Amino acid sequence: MANNEIILEAKNIYKSFSGVPVLQDVHFEVRKGEVHALMGENGAGKSTLIKIITGVYSKDAGSIWWEGKEVQVNSYADVQKLGIACIYQELSVEPPLTVAQNVFLGREPRKFGLIDHRKMIKDTEELIARYGFPLKADELVANLGIGLRQLVEILKGLSCDSKLLIMDEPTASLSGKEAESLFEIIEKLRDQGVSIIYISHRLEEVYRLSDRLTVLRNGQNAAVLNHEQIEPRLVIKTMIGKEVDESAGSAKEMRKNNNEVVLDVKNFSDEIGMFKDVSFQAHRGEILGFGGLIGAGRTELMRAIYGIDKHKSGTATLNGVELKYSPKESIKAGFGFVPEDRRNQGFIPLLSTVKNVALTNYDIVKKNGTSISDKDERDMGIRAIKQIDIRPDNPDKEVGLMSGGNQQKVVLGKWIQRDLKVLIVDEPTAGIDVGAKDQIYSILEDLASQGIVVIIVTSDLQELIRVSHRILVMRKGSIIKEFDSGIVTQSMVLEAGSGIVD
Amino acid sequence: MKQQTLRRFISLGMLVALCIFFSVLSKSFLTPNNMLEIVRDAAVPGIIGVGVTYVIITSGIDLSTGATMALVAMVMANIYKYTLIPIPIMILIGIAVGIVCGVLNGLVVAKLHLPEFIGTLATMGIFRALTYIIAVKDANGTISSVAMSHSSYAILGKGFGRIYFVSIAFVVITIIGQIILKYTRFGTNLYAVGANPKAAELSGIDIAKTRIIAYIVVGFCAAIGAIFTTGRLQSTTALLGEGFEFNPIAASVIGGVSLAGGYGEIIGTFIGAIFMAALENGVLKLQMNTAYQYVIKGAIIILVVIFDAWFNSVMEKKAQEAAAGKEA
Amino acid sequence: MKKLSVKDLSKPIILVAFFLILTILRPSSFLTVGNLGNVLWSVSIYGVMVSGTIFVFLLGGIDLSIGTLCGLTGVTCVMTIRAFGYTPAGVIAGIAAALAVGLIAGLIHGLIITTFRVPAFLVTFATQTIYLGLSMILTNNKILDCTSPALFTSIGKNPVPIILMAVAALISWYVLRKTETGRYVYAVGGNDQAAAISGISVRKITIMAYMISGFTTAIGGIILSSMTQQGMASNGSGYEQYVIMAGVIGGISLLGGEGTVPGAIFGAMIIGLLQNGLNLMSVPSTQHGLVRGLVIIAAVGFDALQRDTKFQSWLAKRRQARAAGKSAA
Repeated sequence: MANNEIILEAKNIYKSFSGVPVLQDVHFEVRKGEVHALMGENGAGKSTLIKIITGVYSKDAGSIWWEGKEVQVNSYADVQKLGIACIYQELSVEPPLTVAQNVFLGREPRKFGLIDHRKMIKDTEELIARYGFPLKADELVANLGIGLRQLVEILKGLSCDSKLLIMDEPTASLSGKEAESLFEIIEKLRDQGVSIIYISHRLEEVYRLSDRLTVLRNGQNAAVLNHEQIEPRLVIKTMIGKEVDESAGSAKEMRKNNNEVVLDVKNFSDEIGMFKDVSFQAHRGEILGFGGLIGAGRTELMRAIYGIDKHKSGTATLNGVELKYSPKESIKAGFGFVPEDRRNQGFIPLLSTVKNVALTNYDIVKKNGTSISDKDERDMGIRAIKQIDIRPDNPDKEVGLMSGGNQQKVVLGKWIQRDLKVLIVDEPTAGIDVGAKDQIYSILEDLASQGIVVIIVTSDLQELIRVSHRILVMRKGSIIKEFDSGIVTQSMVLEAGSGIVD
Repeated sequence: MKQQTLRRFISLGMLVALCIFFSVLSKSFLTPNNMLEIVRDAAVPGIIGVGVTYVIITSGIDLSTGATMALVAMVMANIYKYTLIPIPIMILIGIAVGIVCGVLNGLVVAKLHLPEFIGTLATMGIFRALTYIIAVKDANGTISSVAMSHSSYAILGKGFGRIYFVSIAFVVITIIGQIILKYTRFGTNLYAVGANPKAAELSGIDIAKTRIIAYIVVGFCAAIGAIFTTGRLQSTTALLGEGFEFNPIAASVIGGVSLAGGYGEIIGTFIGAIFMAALENGVLKLQMNTAYQYVIKGAIIILVVIFDAWFNSVMEKKAQEAAAGKEA
Repeated sequence: MKKLSVKDLSKPIILVAFFLILTILRPSSFLTVGNLGNVLWSVSIYGVMVSGTIFVFLLGGIDLSIGTLCGLTGVTCVMTIRAFGYTPAGVIAGIAAALAVGLIAGLIHGLIITTFRVPAFLVTFATQTIYLGLSMILTNNKILDCTSPALFTSIGKNPVPIILMAVAALISWYVLRKTETGRYVYAVGGNDQAAAISGISVRKITIMAYMISGFTTAIGGIILSSMTQQGMASNGSGYEQYVIMAGVIGGISLLGGEGTVPGAIFGAMIIGLLQNGLNLMSVPSTQHGLVRGLVIIAAVGFDALQRDTKFQSWLAKRRQARAAGKSAA
C-alpha cells in the first residue's frame, strides 16, 4: 500500500538544550501507509525529535509539514487534531473503565444527554473488527495485561481517525507472544494506510516491520535506508558510526582478571523467567559489564542478588559466604547498589546531600551514645561532595532540586563512604550530561583499582565498552555471550544482544 | 465488570448473613415493618453517601458532611422562625446553602490544592462554627433546639405507612446517582480522574472542574439529608450531624468503594448504608449496650478493608496470570 | 552552618505577632502569668500527643484513632486506680496499664497496615470507633470520678502537664533530630523505595511509629483524665483533629518526609493561643472552628503555593501511591 505521498515532514530541525546542540539540521519524513523506523544510540536525539513533532518541545529552527502544509504545533492537543497519536511507554489508559469507555473517553457518543453505551460498544467493536485486535469492547481494562492495554491505547488513537501513530519502544514490556501479535497489528494498520513511526532498539523488529529506516547519530541524520537495505550489521555500523567504532574508546581489548573470585552467582532463576539459570563470577578489582537490550533481565537479576526482589532458585556467594538476599544484610556484607530508576528509588528528594550520603552509613558516622555527631555526618557529606565533585557544593540543598547528574553523584557518594566489596550500578549515567558521565566513569575505575568488584548494567554501548574490563551479554533472561579477551566493539555487543550471533 | 459484580455480591452476602444472624437471635428483627425501619435509618447516610462516593471515586474524601447538614438546617430554621417565606422556598434555599458548601470544599481542594482531608477538616470547623453563629437563640441568648413543626414540613418525616418518603428519596437518589455515574460523561470522568489523572488530562478532561462538581453533589446530598432529618425531628440544633461524616464514608467502604480512587459504585454504598443501619437496629433489638455497635462497626470496617486488599491482589494476580496464559 | 531563611523565621515571627496582637487587644488579661500558664496547660495534651504522632505524619501515614484512644487510655488509668482503691500504687499501675493499652493499639495499627498493605486512614478510621465503643463498654456509659490520690490529680495540675509536654517534645526532638532512627523515619517518609534499597526496614520503622503515637496518646489520656479527674468515654474525642491541625499548621506535610517537632509544638501553641485569644474576646468556643479553619486553609494553601513546582508531580504520584496503600505507611 505504501506510496510515495509524504504525510509528515520535518525539515532542517535544530534544537539545543542550554547551549548543547541535540539536533542539528535533522530531516525526517514519513510516507502515507509506511512503517518508518527511527533508530539511534541513546542520546542520538530520537526522543527529542519526537517531542518536537508532538509539540512537547519547541524547535529552535526548521519546519514541520503535515500533508503538504506547514503546521505549528504547540501542544499535544494540536497534534491530536492533525491526526497524530502517540503511544507512550507509560500507558495512559484508565484501568477501571472498559475498553470502549477508554477509547471514547472525553467524547462519548450521547443520546438525550446520556451516554449511548450501545453505540459506543458497537463503534468500538467495529473498530476492533476493522483492525482485528484481540479485544472485547466491554472488557475492563484492569483485567488486561500490559500488551492488550497497549492495544487499547492504539485503538484510542485510531478512533480519532489518526493517520499517523508514533510508537516509542512499544515492545519494551511485552512478552514474545504479545510482541508478535503487536507486529501483526502494525502490519494490518499499514495495509489500511496508517503511517507508523516505530522507535526501537531492537534490530530484529525493525528489520521485520519497517519499510524505511531513519538512523540518527549524535543529533544528525546518519542515513535513511529502504527495507532491502536494512541489513543488521550495516544498521549497527550506521548507528555507531564506522569511524567511531574503530576509534579509541569504542573498541577495547577485554581481559579476564585472574584475581580471586569475589562474587559467585550460580543458577539464579526467578519465578516468572525474567532471568533463567544465570551463573557468573566476578573477580577482585574488575569492572564487569552487563550488556543486552532493555528487558533482557539484567536489572531484575541484580535486584534479586542484592535482595530487593525474591528469586526462586540458585545461590550467590560473596567470598564463599552465601548472601542473605536482603538489602540490609547485603550492605553489611559489603554491597552497594545504585538502582536504575534513580528518581523513584535512588535518593530521598526532600533530604539534603549530607543526609542522603549518610543514609547507609550511620554505622560508621561517629556517635555520642545514641546521638549522631552532626559534625561527623556533615564532614562525610562534604567529603563526598569533594570526592565526587558535586556542584554547586551546597551540602544542605535538597537532592530533589538538583540536576540528574548531581543526584546520581549523591547516590554514588553514599556508597563510596563504605568499605565496599561489590558495587552494582544500573544505568548509572542515564539522562546525565557528558561531563558528569566522565566523572562517574573515573569514580568507577578508581573503585575497581582499590580491589572492589564493580558490576555495571548499561544500555549505552559506548559506556559499556569504555568502562568494562569484561562483558557479559544477556538476552531473554540468559547470559548468551561473554567477552573476556580480544578486541570488542560496540557492533559485536549489539549483535550478540540482538541475537545475531555467529 | 466481573470483579465489580463479584464484589457487589459479597456486600450483599454480608448483608444477608448479618440479617440471618440477627433474625435467629431476635424474633422481631426479620419483620417487614422492621425491614422498612432499617431502610429509613439507612436513608440519610445513604443519600449523602451518593455524593461521598463520587468524591471517593476521584480519590478524595469529605469530612464536612455532618457540619454541612447542620448549617443547612440552621439556615432553614432561621427562615422558618423569622420570616414568612413559604416552606418550599425555604427548602430550596436550604439546598442552595448545601451547594455553596460544596463549592467551597471544591475550591479549597481543587484550586487551593489543600489535601482533601485537611481541606474538608477545615471547612467542617468553619461550617459548624457558622451554624453556631447563626443559631437561633432564646431570650437569654442560649442556643437551644429550634422547633420546625409546620404541618406541611412535617410531611417529610412521614410516608405511605412505613414506606417513608425519605426511603423513597433514598432509592430514587441512589438510582439517579448510579445513572449519572454510568450514563454521563461526568460519571465516567470521575473514574478517569481517580484512576489516572494524567490520562484523563490527555483525553481533554478538566480535572479541577470534575472534582469541584463532585463536591457540589455532596453538598446537595447533605442538604437533602438535612431537610429530611429536620422534617422528621421537626426541630434542629446546632449539634445536628456531629460525627455524622463517619457514616457515609463507612457505608461506601463497606460497599467496596476504594479510597485509592477509581473504583466503586453507588449500589455498593447503598448496600453499605443498609448494612450499617441493620447492624444498629439488630444491636438494639438484642438489647445490647449500644457501645457494642461501635466495636462491631469498627471491626467490620477493618475486616472489609483487609478483605478488599486481599481480594484486589488476588484479582490483580489472576488478571496477570490470564494475560500470561494467553502467551503460553 | 545553614543560614536562617525567611521560611525558618516565619514561625517565631507569627508566634510573636500573635502575642503582640493579643497583648494589644486584651492588655490586662492576656499577658499575665496566670493566663499564659493557662494557655500552656490547655495546649499540653496536644503538645504531648503531637510529639508522638509526628512519627506517623513523617511517614506519610495518619492516625485518626488518637482522640478516642486518648479516652480509652484515660478510662483504663482511672479504672485501674479505682480498682486499687485510690492508692498511689494504683496510680503507678494505672499509668502502666494506660501506656500498655496505647502501645498495643499502636502495635495493632502498625501490624495491620504493614501486613495487609491497607491505608492507615481506613485502619485508624475503624479503630477510632472501636476504642470509643470499648471505653463505653468499660465505663458502662458512666462518668467514673477519680478525685484522689494526690499523686494522680497532680498530674493534671500546672506545672506537671507543661513539664510532660516539654519532656515529650524534647525526647521526640532528640530521637528525630539526633538518632539513626530519626534519620530513617525521614528517609522512609521521603521515599520508602529508596529507603528500602538503603537497607532500612520500612516495616519496622512503620510499626514503631504507630506504637510511639499510641504511647504519647496514652500519656495524653492520663493527663486528660487527671485534669478532669474522671474517666469518661467521650474524653478526648475530636482531639485527633486538633493534633492533625497543630501538625499541619506547624509545617508537617501529611504526605510524609517533612516536618519538625518544634514546628509541631509551634502549631499546638497557635491552636492554644487562638483558643485563648478568642476566649478572652468572649467568642464562644463553638465558634472557634471558623477562625481555626481559615487559619489552616491560609497556612496550608500558602505552603502549597510556595512549594517548588519541581516537587509537584512527584508528590502527586506519591499521593496516589499512598492512597492505594502501596506504600507501607
